[in-house]
Amino acid sequence: MPELLTTTQLSRHFGGTAVVQPIDLQLRQGDILGLLGPNGAGKSTIMRMLCGDLAPSGGRINICGEDLLKRSIHAKRFIGYLPERPPLHREQTVDEFLWDCAHLRGLKRNQVQQAREQAKQRCGLEQTGRRLIRKLSKGFQQRVGLAQAIIHNPRVIILDEPTDGLDPVQIRQVRELIQELAQHRGVILSSHILPEIEASCNRVTILQQGKSVYSGEITPPQQTCYRVGLEQQQAVEAITELNAVAAAEQLHTDSYRITLATGYQASDLSQQIVARGWGLVELKAERLSLEQLYIQATTGGLS
Amino acid sequence: MTAYLAWMEWRRLMRTPLAWTVLGLSLCLLSWQFLATLEIFSGMQPSNRSLGLSHHLGLQLFGLASVLILIITPILTIRSFSEAFRNGSYALLSSAPLANITILSGKFLGILIFQLLFTLMPLLLCLSLCIGTELDYGLLLAASLGLFLLSALFTAIGLYFSTLNENPGIAAAGSYGLLLLISLLDQNTESGSFIHWLAWPSHYLDLQLGLVRISDLAYFLILMSLFLGLALYRLDKRRSG
Repeated sequence: MPELLTTTQLSRHFGGTAVVQPIDLQLRQGDILGLLGPNGAGKSTIMRMLCGDLAPSGGRINICGEDLLKRSIHAKRFIGYLPERPPLHREQTVDEFLWDCAHLRGLKRNQVQQAREQAKQRCGLEQTGRRLIRKLSKGFQQRVGLAQAIIHNPRVIILDEPTDGLDPVQIRQVRELIQELAQHRGVILSSHILPEIEASCNRVTILQQGKSVYSGEITPPQQTCYRVGLEQQQAVEAITELNAVAAAEQLHTDSYRITLATGYQASDLSQQIVARGWGLVELKAERLSLEQLYIQATTGGLS
Repeated sequence: MTAYLAWMEWRRLMRTPLAWTVLGLSLCLLSWQFLATLEIFSGMQPSNRSLGLSHHLGLQLFGLASVLILIITPILTIRSFSEAFRNGSYALLSSAPLANITILSGKFLGILIFQLLFTLMPLLLCLSLCIGTELDYGLLLAASLGLFLLSALFTAIGLYFSTLNENPGIAAAGSYGLLLLISLLDQNTESGSFIHWLAWPSHYLDLQLGLVRISDLAYFLILMSLFLGLALYRLDKRRSG
């Protein structure tokens, strides 16, 4: 499938400080790519560069075949962007604001009405068209921000903390909307909330101090772990000596989390434990959670 | 797209109480000045009248209008960029398929539509006398042109300061500082010097008196272009950091 967005060695400096170190991102149709990292990791800076609000210090951004730096006006037609603070004109009504947004995004006069109604319907704003934006609740203002990002039916949607300020029902609705939008588009969303990324995304790039420390599937198959219970407590060093074990971690006195070495199966692990007579009582596949992935990535456990 | 952006900016401005308050108060003050000028003029002995009514209106009414426009413009222009940077709404434009020059032109023209409304107020007050007396229409049109060019120059300066800072207070203070400076530069400076040329009152005075000179028009257009160019540079610079 062709890539909707690619960045090559994208970097950004402010003064002498490298806020984003060279990073490569790829986004395909159907992808929901999460940018995950603590505050100050460079997520919003990357988002601003991807939508053309901020020029990178180095590297390239290609959106649907257009170079964002050389042909920014053409490339920006493919982008919908919701920044951390929704860019709203609070003195306008929802209808007026979305009408202007549709024009600004280059829609033709005869397309504007339909695009506005569709965006309102998708974001649950059918009843609020005539209300002033400043009188709406924070959750509804966030929805208006989302509506302006999708009104021109962009191929790439960039969402910075899209569920911020929403109640649990609204969060669920936004997640469903993102899933629906991603079917024919690519979505990049940033968050520092792990469950948010885990619930919405199929791929993740974990950032720390402006550097990508992990990029790939949220649950990479090669990182499958096993939870192992033994009758006889063993030292972690003794377990890691087994050929089938790449890494081991003691969870409780007789319970361990074991990562298999390359080329070994769970059956090899069980045979080696039984052969040593440690008393195997439990062997359970354990998917690496995003939290574990995040902690391993940010503490240097993943490359 | 520039025209749509200008139309959008003007509509947004007219949705705020600020615009209507400014127009309302300005109309009250201008009307007061208009009546005061009429009263003074009608109280003068015909033999003491060295200037006609149109000249008096050009000097008094359009003089007050220039002071009002100096006070009003920075309040209008800080909304355009400084406030938009601060409240995050600028991202709507910066992420849209628009060049910086389109954004700047749209915002500039949007404010100019408002300034045009303001410029019409003293002109319409003067034209209300056309039934009862003879007016020098050329002089009044020249004074209106001067007021419009002055407001365009002040708008360009205000927009430049608006692009400089995310704090609207600082942007407004900077605008007022420069506007006052170029208002006073002709005081105690040698006539014909560059510093003296930079001051707007002498150029505006010619137009108030009905003198439309290329040199005065060039003054307004050169300075206006300079500050719009600087504002555009700031927008480009802001993107590249």
